[in-house]
Amino acid sequence: MAEPARQAVAETVVIRSKRFGDYEVPADRVLVFRDGLIGFPHAQRFVLLEPTRPGTPFRYLLCVDLPELGFVVCDARALSPLAARDVPLPADTRPEDVAILAIVTVPADPRGMTANLMAPLVVDSRTNAGRQLVLDTGSHPLRYPILAPATAD
Amino acid sequence: MLVLTRRLGEVIRVGDAVTVRVLEVKGNQVRLGVEAPAEVRIYREEVYRAIRKENEEAAAQAAGTLDEVTSEWQSRHDKP
Repeated sequence: MAEPARQAVAETVVIRSKRFGDYEVPADRVLVFRDGLIGFPHAQRFVLLEPTRPGTPFRYLLCVDLPELGFVVCDARALSPLAARDVPLPADTRPEDVAILAIVTVPADPRGMTANLMAPLVVDSRTNAGRQLVLDTGSHPLRYPILAPATAD
Repeated sequence: MLVLTRRLGEVIRVGDAVTVRVLEVKGNQVRLGVEAPAEVRIYREEVYRAIRKENEEAAAQAAGTLDEVTSEWQSRHDKP
């Protein structure tokens, strides 16, 4: 019997999560946060899922190491032109090489949802290495309101 | 807790690679200069705690939050 043609089988990573469901993603899409996140030192490998609705800046960031851990994140540049300011980049890095993701916190009334611009997740798209930075300059709010206050209408 | 007394300009060394120098003492404020390798993360304690709490709150949200967030966003941005 002919052996099936050997194709380059891309390695995949499987996430089985009671909270978020099951996902299988190519291993080369795994983001590595060597230091974990602040308060979650063991959360070191993540995958960034595609937005559930195209054109929106929100995505799930799911933890491979702790499958019940996941965050809603938002492209920080879509929220505030200041978001990328003060993010230190290595000399050989262009701004477009890095994704800047803000973790989203949603209170009981989702209209009050905020993005953490003080401690954004910065991911180098060339290496998939990520870090949670702390921009402790006073100009990057911990709770940046994502939606402008509703106008009376 | 290890307690040390230092004068202005004097240094405490933590391990081989981290130093903390007293730069200025003014009333109840002390300015410290920390030198450490880039991989050592240095935070003011209250900032660290605030970010940890925010991370924990964000992590505790119900699955399905993404849909909620996306719907709210679209209801504001897709209006003609």
